Amino acid sequence: MARAQAGDSLAYRTLLDECQRWLSRYFARRIAPVQVDDLVQDTLISVHTKRATFDPARPFLPWLAAIARYRWVDHLRKVYRADETLLDEQMASEAEEPGIIARISIENLLVQLPEAQQVAIRLVKIEGLSIAEAAERTGQSEPLVKVNIHRGIKKLSALVESEG
Amino acid sequence: MRNLNTIDALVADLVPVRRVSPRDGMLITLGLAVVVVTVVTLLFGLRDDIAAGHPAPIVVLRSGALLLLGFAAALAATESAQPAVGAESNGWPWALGAALLFPVSATILVIYEGALPYSDFGGLNCLGISLASALVVGAGLTSWLRPGASVAPERVGWLVGLAAGAFGTFAYSCHCPSESIYYIGLWYSLAVAISAALGRLIVPRLIRW
Repeated sequence: MARAQAGDSLAYRTLLDECQRWLSRYFARRIAPVQVDDLVQDTLISVHTKRATFDPARPFLPWLAAIARYRWVDHLRKVYRADETLLDEQMASEAEEPGIIARISIENLLVQLPEAQQVAIRLVKIEGLSIAEAAERTGQSEPLVKVNIHRGIKKLSALVESEG
Repeated sequence: MRNLNTIDALVADLVPVRRVSPRDGMLITLGLAVVVVTVVTLLFGLRDDIAAGHPAPIVVLRSGALLLLGFAAALAATESAQPAVGAESNGWPWALGAALLFPVSATILVIYEGALPYSDFGGLNCLGISLASALVVGAGLTSWLRPGASVAPERVGWLVGLAAGAFGTFAYSCHCPSESIYYIGLWYSLAVAISAALGRLIVPRLIRW
């Protein structure tokens, strides 16, 4: 990388090839196989745009791993938001048809979820409580509230699709 | 295959780069701290005891705590521009602990005395001057961090706010006529806390990549 920072194209190509192999293995254990290529590509671009932040006095792998982990967390955040948006859009389009919305009302859907997921979604997404407040109210830990919301919303999305 | 095309494109785009160095970030931050101290001193005046070269012990203590906190937080923030798994600067919590001695001491004394003592010196002046100075230091440090690769933007937001708040409050303390532990415990702590909260709110969205 030190040579790449100085503009050595050959060294840079070799490095990126190695990075690609390492990143493919790293992400293969963490995300769906169909998404690995996209995330490897995004991370290679990040390696390129942030190459000036590598310090040659330090080892390379911890630097690459920090960038990979950052892109992976960013990817998870986008997937989580996409799940929520998908549900919102589906609920909005259904709202144009009152007969159908009655059939798949949120309450009807919620009761099909496990109790812990129902409560977490009701408190945070419907009543507007913060994660900390919901955790205090339910006795669940904050990470567990987040996990229950995430899993519950994914399940709701699947239920809405099957109802449609 | 798509990644091979990406690699071709990235190699074609390669140009030499100047390395991001935390030392540059520290120099900018400390330089701005000197600027705000100078401006505050020119606008509002320097304490007589500092000007005479014999600062009161409480002034030495509060200045030391603020400078230590500012330096440690700025160091942790600038080092975050060069990411690495398992490499985090851990000195700043100790400096924060040292600075917390002032509000903790003031609180204990208030509980012991049973009432907040009267102070002639306007706390809002302290907040206004400290936060305006903090804004200058924080803006400079944030600008330097933007091309970096901080992988924990929220943590860095706190650190930038703490560093800027500590240096900004230090600038005010060079002028501040009060020597009251209550005043320092309340208004100095409030200025640093507000700056840290603002850093947490504003900085992450500016340095995310």
